[in-house]
Amino acid sequence: MRIRLLFILMTICAGGAAGAADLHRITLPPPTVSLKEGAGVYVVRRYCSICHSLDYITTQPKFPKAKWQTEVAKMIKVYGAPIPEESAKVISDYIAAYYGTGS
Amino acid sequence: LSPVLYAGERRLETYPEKADLLLLTARPPQLETPLKYFKELITPNEALFVRWHLANIPTSVDLATWRLVVHGEVENALSLTLDDLKRFEKIEYTAVIQCAGNGRSFFDPPVFGGQWLNGAMGNVTWSGVRLRDVLKRAGIKAGAQEVIFKGLDNPPLPTVPGFAKSLALDKAQEDEIMIAYEMNGRELPLLNGYPVRLVVPGWYATYWVKSLSDMEVAAQPFEGFWKKSAYRIPDTACGCVEPGSTPAKTIPITRMTTRSLLINPQDGSRLKAGRPIELMGVAFSGGYGIKEVSVSVNGGLDWRPARLGKDLGRHSWVQWYYPMKPQKAGSYDVRVRAVNSIGESQPLDSLWNPAGYLWNKIERNTLIVV
Ligand code: HEC
Repeated sequence: MRIRLLFILMTICAGGAAGAADLHRITLPPPTVSLKEGAGVYVVRRYCSICHSLDYITTQPKFPKAKWQTEVAKMIKVYGAPIPEESAKVISDYIAAYYGTGS
Repeated sequence: LSPVLYAGERRLETYPEKADLLLLTARPPQLETPLKYFKELITPNEALFVRWHLANIPTSVDLATWRLVVHGEVENALSLTLDDLKRFEKIEYTAVIQCAGNGRSFFDPPVFGGQWLNGAMGNVTWSGVRLRDVLKRAGIKAGAQEVIFKGLDNPPLPTVPGFAKSLALDKAQEDEIMIAYEMNGRELPLLNGYPVRLVVPGWYATYWVKSLSDMEVAAQPFEGFWKKSAYRIPDTACGCVEPGSTPAKTIPITRMTTRSLLINPQDGSRLKAGRPIELMGVAFSGGYGIKEVSVSVNGGLDWRPARLGKDLGRHSWVQWYYPMKPQKAGSYDVRVRAVNSIGESQPLDSLWNPAGYLWNKIERNTLIVV
């Protein structure tokens, strides 16, 4: 009985060691940012979280709408964000209103 | 020092292998070190800031299959395991690592980008092997110009440029450029670039490619996005332009500017009148030792030298100490200024550039004596 238990333990340890010694793995906590409710919020959630979490938006300083329009245009032109023109407008309007200086 | 323009709420978050750090963004993770950790000469692995660019970061590495490859303009392409790498001569030194955008949240007018306070930095003892030794083993062909470095992170969409940086061959072959497999005597946390990262002491962390896996010796200068369009500063003596304006010409950012910070007591602290205290902080500069740190407790009218702590070499930061015994109640404007061994110091007023780099103005701290 004792010997059998020892044998089982040895097999588990040996089996475990081969993989565990070489594999280094982490699990990231899920993003927790949530956007304020408002006109256009669904469009922002849909398009601006394709490549990064939405805290990329909420942690920015308060910018006027023109700055946000340029920033959204940069995502499209420089990084290839697949965002239709009408949606780009909705997005910069929303961010300027809720996370920017408004106008 | 309070970041009045910062729109988001900062809070502490626990990420794997890390202490509670200030969360900037979750995907990719960007985490900032609370200032209290800088009371120590060496920043613990758990506390070091985290900065990735692309959301597809490596969350697992299997050393059985992981390789560091060297290819391009070389006589023998290499594919090294971590054990292979560890057979090269081991070197070790302490060096400040600092994000190019550290302090960006203080820019006025504000700029887009990671809104770091001053916690995107740390002082770490790195060990690993010389990049030069590895390149020598590969044998660089005549006419090669640069080495291009890539890590295990990947773009979220194919239209996003993959993260890569390069060093000119002369720079890459400097004695101290390291492929590091240890931070403070232990393996790197995954979020800081396990299993190996590049260490370019004196230069901003954008060159310290994490989870380094691919080195290409190239015959042409590297023209990738993260060199050609990002991480650039105005091509002016101060690296600055008129606040809000666009530079006529830009160049890649490289060496860190000289900085000094008050760490304890922190900005905004309350002190008791008549009770002696010792102010302390850190000072460093891009690759040149700190020669002197001076402190003013009256808004820059009088400056007196601070005492410097242990010297761990020109790439480490040095701790400074300054005794103070405030007699009168009121608000004290405390400033710190460092000078390095080639006379570089810090500006009185903030210098501005559109990407929010090189922040090193003499900080104004308020201590309230009651
Ligand atoms: C196709 C990919 C992609 C999409 C879609 C995307 N972004 Fe980005 N964004 C990026 C990349 C890449 C960066 C740079 C990341 C870094 O350096 O940390 C970035 C960075 C940012 C930044 C930080 C400042 C800067 O310029 O580096 C902001 C703000 C931002 N994005 C806002 C948005 C908004 C708003 C949207 C929706 C309109 C959006 N993004 C959609 C790829 C994308």
